Amino acid sequence: MLKFIRIDMTAKKVTVEETPEKYLALGGRALTSQFILDEVPAECHPLGAKNKLIITPGLLSGTNAPSSGRLSIGGKSPLTGGIKEANAGGITSQKIANLGIKAIVIEGMADSGTYIARVTADNVELIPADDLAGKGTYELTSILLERYNPKAGIICIGPAGEMKMLSAGITNNDMEGNSSRYAGRGGLGAVMGSKGLKAIVVEADKTFDAPVKDKERFKAAAKKFAQILIQHPVSGDGLPKYGTNVLMNIINEAGGLPTRNFSTGRFDAANEVGGEKLAEVATARGGKATHACHPGCVIRCSNVYPMPDGKVCSPIEYETAWGFGPNLDISDLDVVAKLNYICNDVGLDTIEVAGTLGVLMEAGALQFGDGQGAITALEEVAKGTPLGRIIGAGAAVAGKVYGVTRVPTVKGQSIPAYDPRSVRGNGVTYATTTMGADHTAGYAVTANILKVGGFVDPTKDGGQIELSRNLQIATAAVDATGLCLFVAFAVLDNPEGLPTIVEMLNAQYGTELTVDDVTALGQQILKNEREFNAKAGFTKADDRLPEFFYEEELAPHNTKFDLKEKLDEVFNF
Amino acid sequence: MNCLLLEVRLYSGLEKFVAGATYGKPLAVELPDGANVKELLAKLNIPEVEVFSILANGIHRHLEDVLNDGDRVALFPPVGGG
Ligand code: SF4
Repeated sequence: MLKFIRIDMTAKKVTVEETPEKYLALGGRALTSQFILDEVPAECHPLGAKNKLIITPGLLSGTNAPSSGRLSIGGKSPLTGGIKEANAGGITSQKIANLGIKAIVIEGMADSGTYIARVTADNVELIPADDLAGKGTYELTSILLERYNPKAGIICIGPAGEMKMLSAGITNNDMEGNSSRYAGRGGLGAVMGSKGLKAIVVEADKTFDAPVKDKERFKAAAKKFAQILIQHPVSGDGLPKYGTNVLMNIINEAGGLPTRNFSTGRFDAANEVGGEKLAEVATARGGKATHACHPGCVIRCSNVYPMPDGKVCSPIEYETAWGFGPNLDISDLDVVAKLNYICNDVGLDTIEVAGTLGVLMEAGALQFGDGQGAITALEEVAKGTPLGRIIGAGAAVAGKVYGVTRVPTVKGQSIPAYDPRSVRGNGVTYATTTMGADHTAGYAVTANILKVGGFVDPTKDGGQIELSRNLQIATAAVDATGLCLFVAFAVLDNPEGLPTIVEMLNAQYGTELTVDDVTALGQQILKNEREFNAKAGFTKADDRLPEFFYEEELAPHNTKFDLKEKLDEVFNF
Repeated sequence: MNCLLLEVRLYSGLEKFVAGATYGKPLAVELPDGANVKELLAKLNIPEVEVFSILANGIHRHLEDVLNDGDRVALFPPVGGG
């Protein structure tokens, strides 16, 4: 039996049910989005008792399929007002799957107090934990590891989530106990905080022993898939060497690096905060240029960056380095690391905070280039001061508070590290994804800049709608499997990639899925999410970029974003 | 004969093929008029198979494409992230 756990925070009651038939074949984003559509009233207040959080491993999580330990968290987003699936690496997904748990649902809300949940092989309990209220995620995680089990996976929120800030994320730990693996986007940390739940401790001895129907067949497919990943130059060589931040220089050279709050596409000092520099400094200080966020990842895109204060920031991702670097006119990697660390500790999405600080600098409330000023401002979040709360509320709110018009958000969520005017495929994705601006939802940077999965000219409109559509469908399906999205580089270029994923699924579940079924699954996920968003009040007008992208030219290519009505064709399927 | 003066940047390990080069630091490279990317790589002793993306002034280029005086050229091995 696959367990379906419900934690009712109103009644303080835990129920362990058998997984409903309807959800048995679903996992990851396929399950979170179906469940939210089924059980959460679209018009509910995201921070009220009717919203629910669902936490679920992907379909392949907990097996030895390479890079398959992704965790999906779903709910109605307080940041966008729409449906949300945020997914994270870290060690917890594999543990949940190895406990035979399909999903953990958090519903209702406690009228007062702070609680944690403890999940073990034979028990789930809700424990009052007022002593842990207000703790940063690093301290909280180390207390819980010591209190319960040093090998546990700890899913938790920081003070930002407890204060119900719209940019609060939910994190979990890596193998070294760093609480830095975020389901970051869309404010799901505030939803967890609104319910009174501070952490979930997941204890499991096993990592790769989730049930598999045909073990031999699965082993052969998993081995083949590992080969496909290792043989691809990006997942086998580029990502392990320099991590995701290797993108900094190529996006800059291509003229798509949003600089000074999206006012230009190149940053003179990009190289100072890029992946090459990061690898050099991290290694010189005894850190690591390559690191796996969970056991069994063969790509190992992560890093360990020792900071001058003796603490460690792990990882620094490209989007974060961009957001606290070029976006703020900051060229000091130590400042980037510090801002990243504070976000991890207080419990905020780094991309949203980066967007917000950019808007505050645009407003003159902070100065572009002033790293220390940014650090001091970010430290206000934990104190819950008015400035701290504005920072925690995200770029759209900050823009309104300060009367700024250049606010790079879609559906209330900040646009990440690729300017839509010169990486237009990603512009299409930002505008149309159900998630609010999200680069991972249909990562057209592949064909636009990286020449993976074909080439589509990044400064022209031709081919971008189809590119984004196909990527959004494929991504939704990948997000259901628990595979890290970075398998996509190899899967897009190798015709055996997708069939091998399907082979793993069939071997594990005894199914007869075909490649077409996987496409259909991706489409169904998007349809479910669109249905929820429509019920929540979203219209075509929400599938557009902010006005300034249509009106201000971006150097060096001096391009504007053009697509409007055509964007509605993305969902023609 | 006229010359092209290029501003070349090497990234993500390609700098190791050129003595004294550092990633991202511009190198001034002189080539005869009408030279293409292949000739640039030959002059720098960078094997063609190592180079995956060639950007000149932010635009993707091919090995056979002719370069212009003053071009900002950036060379990359396969890179990715997200
Ligand atoms: S590729 Fe990177 S993010 Fe993905 S699973 Fe591996 S270490 Fe984690």
